[in-house]
This record gives sequence, C-alpha cells and structure tokens, in this order.
Amino acid sequence: MEYLSVEKRLSLVRFNIHSEPHIKVDTSKCIDCDYKPCVKACPAGLFTLDDEGRLHFNYEGCFECGTCRVVCPGEAIEWRYPPGGFGVSLRFG
Amino acid sequence: MSAEEKFDVIVVGGGPAGLSAGYFLAKKGFEVVVLERGEDIGTKNMFGGRIYSHVFDKYYPGWRDEAPVERWVRRERFTILCKEGSISLQYIPGQDVGEYDSFTAFLSKFLKWMAVVAESEGALVLPGVKVDKILLEDGYASGVLAGGDRLTADYIVVAEGINTLLVEELGLKGRPRPESLGVGVKEVFKLGRDAISRRFGIGDGEGVAEFLIGYPINKYGAGGFVYTMDEYVSIGAVMKIGNVYKSENNVMDLAEDLRSHPYIKSLVEGGTIVEYSAHMVGEGWGSILERPYGDGLLVVGDAAGTLVNTGFTVRGVDYAVESSRLAADVIEESHGAGDRSSAFLSRYKNYLDSSVIGRSLRRFRKVPEVLSLDRLHTTYIDLICDVLSGVYTVGEETPSLKESIDRGRRGRVSIFRMILDLFTLWRSL
Repeated sequence: MEYLSVEKRLSLVRFNIHSEPHIKVDTSKCIDCDYKPCVKACPAGLFTLDDEGRLHFNYEGCFECGTCRVVCPGEAIEWRYPPGGFGVSLRFG
Repeated sequence: MSAEEKFDVIVVGGGPAGLSAGYFLAKKGFEVVVLERGEDIGTKNMFGGRIYSHVFDKYYPGWRDEAPVERWVRRERFTILCKEGSISLQYIPGQDVGEYDSFTAFLSKFLKWMAVVAESEGALVLPGVKVDKILLEDGYASGVLAGGDRLTADYIVVAEGINTLLVEELGLKGRPRPESLGVGVKEVFKLGRDAISRRFGIGDGEGVAEFLIGYPINKYGAGGFVYTMDEYVSIGAVMKIGNVYKSENNVMDLAEDLRSHPYIKSLVEGGTIVEYSAHMVGEGWGSILERPYGDGLLVVGDAAGTLVNTGFTVRGVDYAVESSRLAADVIEESHGAGDRSSAFLSRYKNYLDSSVIGRSLRRFRKVPEVLSLDRLHTTYIDLICDVLSGVYTVGEETPSLKESIDRGRRGRVSIFRMILDLFTLWRSL
C-alpha cells in the first residue's frame, strides 16, 4: 500500500461539521510555549505552525479524541464536544 | 422531547458502559433514558477490536446467536517487528475449546445491537443528544441540560467515556495527566472474507487477535494490534500521550509508520483502506476513580477508569459492562432504601474494588510501567531479532544459539541488567 497523507486518510472519514468550532485555541497563550506538543499529538494533524512559528488550528477533521486537551501545558485549549449529531461519525470504530 | 421530562435514571453516553447500564436498569423496572451525542449509536466509539465474552454470557441470554460478532478469536498472536523481518508466537487452543472466550467486533455495529437489547427491555435510547451539563439541586444530581432541553431524574449515571469532561467538572477527577492516558490510532482495510481466512490461516467465522511490538512504532513507545474482522482487518497502535514530549514523532504518522513495516504490508496487501480513526485510551495507567459517585450520581466504564491492561489482554468493553452491572445493583439498593446520598452510593466503590475489575487492577498495576520500559522497545527487540536472524541465517556453518545470543547482546545490555529486567517483568505479570 502506498503512502497515505493524513489529509488522504481523513478524506475517508465522515464528518458532519458544525459552523461553530467546538475547540477554541487561545493562540496568544501559545507564543511562549516552546514545545507546542499539540502539533505532534493531534492524530489528525490539525495543529500547524506557519513560517513565523505561529500556531494555527482547524477543528474540521477532528476525531474528538481529547489528546490536545490532555497534552496542552498552557491551558490554551477550550475543549467541548460538538453539538449532538455533529462532528465525526465513524463506521468502523 | 418536551421541555422537561422526568425519568428514574438518566444515563449520559451510549457506549458499552452506558448502553449496558440502560439495559440493566430497565430490566430492574426503572424508567431510564440513555443520551448519546453521536448522530447514531456507535458513531463516536472506537477501540481496537476485541471483546471478551464472559459478561455477555452472564447477562445477555441468547447473545451468541444475535450479536453482530465479526469473528470468534481462535488464534492469539504475539509478533515482534524487527527492523526488517518479524518474529511471531502463535497460540492455538486445542480442538475442544467449547465456547469462545472472545470475539472481534466493530463498536459501530455492536453498540447498535446493545441499544436494541436495552430498548427491548424498555430503556429509551436517544442518539443526537449531547449533555452539556449535569444539574445539581442542593448538591444532589437532579438532571441534565442537553441542547437547551432540561431532563430531570432521581439518578444520573455518567458513562461519558475516557475524555472525562463532566466527571472533571463535577470535581470527581483532576485534570487528566498525559502520563496516565494513551492515544490510539486505527486503520481498517477491506480484504474480503476468503482472503482473510486464507491469509491468516483460519476457518470461516474464526479470527486472529494479534499484539505487536517493535519497529518502527517502538520510537513512539507504542504497542500495536491486528484484529481480523469478517471482511476487514483492523490495524493500529497505542502510545502513551506523555511520550509526545519525549519523541520527535508525530502521532499522525504513527499509523503510517506501522503500515510501512514489511510484515504489516504483507497483511494488508491488495486491500483497500476504508477508515482511519483515533481515540484516547485509559491504558490502565490510571485506576478506578477514588470517588466514582456523588449524591444521586454514579460513574461507569472508561469514565470511572475501569479499563485494565494485563500486558497480554486489554479489558475494556467487558469491564465497562461489569461496572454498569454493579452500578445498576447499587441504584436498586439505594432506591429500595430511599437514600440516594453519596454516603449510601459509596458502596459502589467497594463493589468495584472487590469485583474482578478491582482485583485485576491491583494484580496488574505494574504492567503499564513495565511495558513502557525503553529497553523493552529497543534493546530487547534488537537482541531477539539478531539472535533469531543469527540462528536462521545459514551459510556454511550454523552458529550455536549461545554464540548468537552473545553476539546479539554485545554492547547492548549486561547479563545482570537482563536478569533484573526479567525479574521485574516476571513480578509484574
């Protein structure tokens, strides 16, 4: 089997995306965070760094696993589940 | 749903723990509703793929004919992934095994069956309803707020799973620690029934459960798994979240790295990937909550910390069901006594501690620590791989086993260290 990028793998998953993000990241708290473990911890790769090293987060494609909430040392993540019926919808969980 | 409805019990979460709680309570005659945030039952749940049968034998009569079992586990495999090759140890029980101890399943399907069974006993199961808050009245759990609706009940059973938002808000648990939780990733491949049976050397309806350790997932400190489903193969890995701080690896590459190993490649050859998913795991690094109860409230399943990792087996679904059985008993006793105070409900903790869950947690408490030993994931993997490749790579002369071991061990680990590690391993199991 060939290499599958995380985008390709996420395209296999059904998401019912709500207009309101269920996870909010206060990126001002991330400026002083050297390690930014969320970037490496998210199994969907939703935390990314731009060229200036600033953190960006996209809630679309979230498995709602909660790993980022656990791993964040700065309590910069406001974590909720999406409203009932929204978010990830697994067929082979 | 009307603006306010009253139930005997509200169960928050429709996973293995919540749906079995609904089933047990409805069976006892309680008016119970199970609220599930997923658009359908089973759409938010994810696990490796194996369920142990005993709780269903005990509490779900006739389940072997009805439940959506993928395959009955007939072969247990333990595989060490070397840099290139691999070493497998396989256990096949004798012919006369009687009933199978465990089976593979997709929670997505299996939970829909559990919901139907709970409903047949009179429980109301409502998907698409997320509980935002547990309401308290004079300190007693009195209901829930769900998407603007208010539901009230005498008892609340929290079965929210491993990501314990409500349990933390209730003050029953502190902030979860990266050291006490795992993150698991899984890929599911469609291969076809016959191809799976041939490739894994199993009969129709029979399955393989496999535990993996070694390259390349050892750099994450991760362990892997393979489960055969009816027409699919599920492959994945679990790592301690705390390892994110230590390694240069990215969790989103974990499944990719695992799939790149020649052994895994050979398993999924010709198959089509149908889904990738991730979930947190309470790898038993934690333990049961000190207080899995409050006034008018009980916590069950993963939310209460009932998962046990014994090193050979991971007891998730079965122990979740067992905890709900105990919780239902306690609610019945509490209702009979007319006392739903936390002082009364605290017996639930005693029941858990003296149950098979508590006994296993105590017996296997050191396992996670031992499994996360760096030497186990690197030094010993290299050693055993080198020894076997030394023994089986045959030229003109065959090296003796002792020569191969000495060569493999050289510069890596002292005999003394090896004996000490073996002793630690032995004591933990």
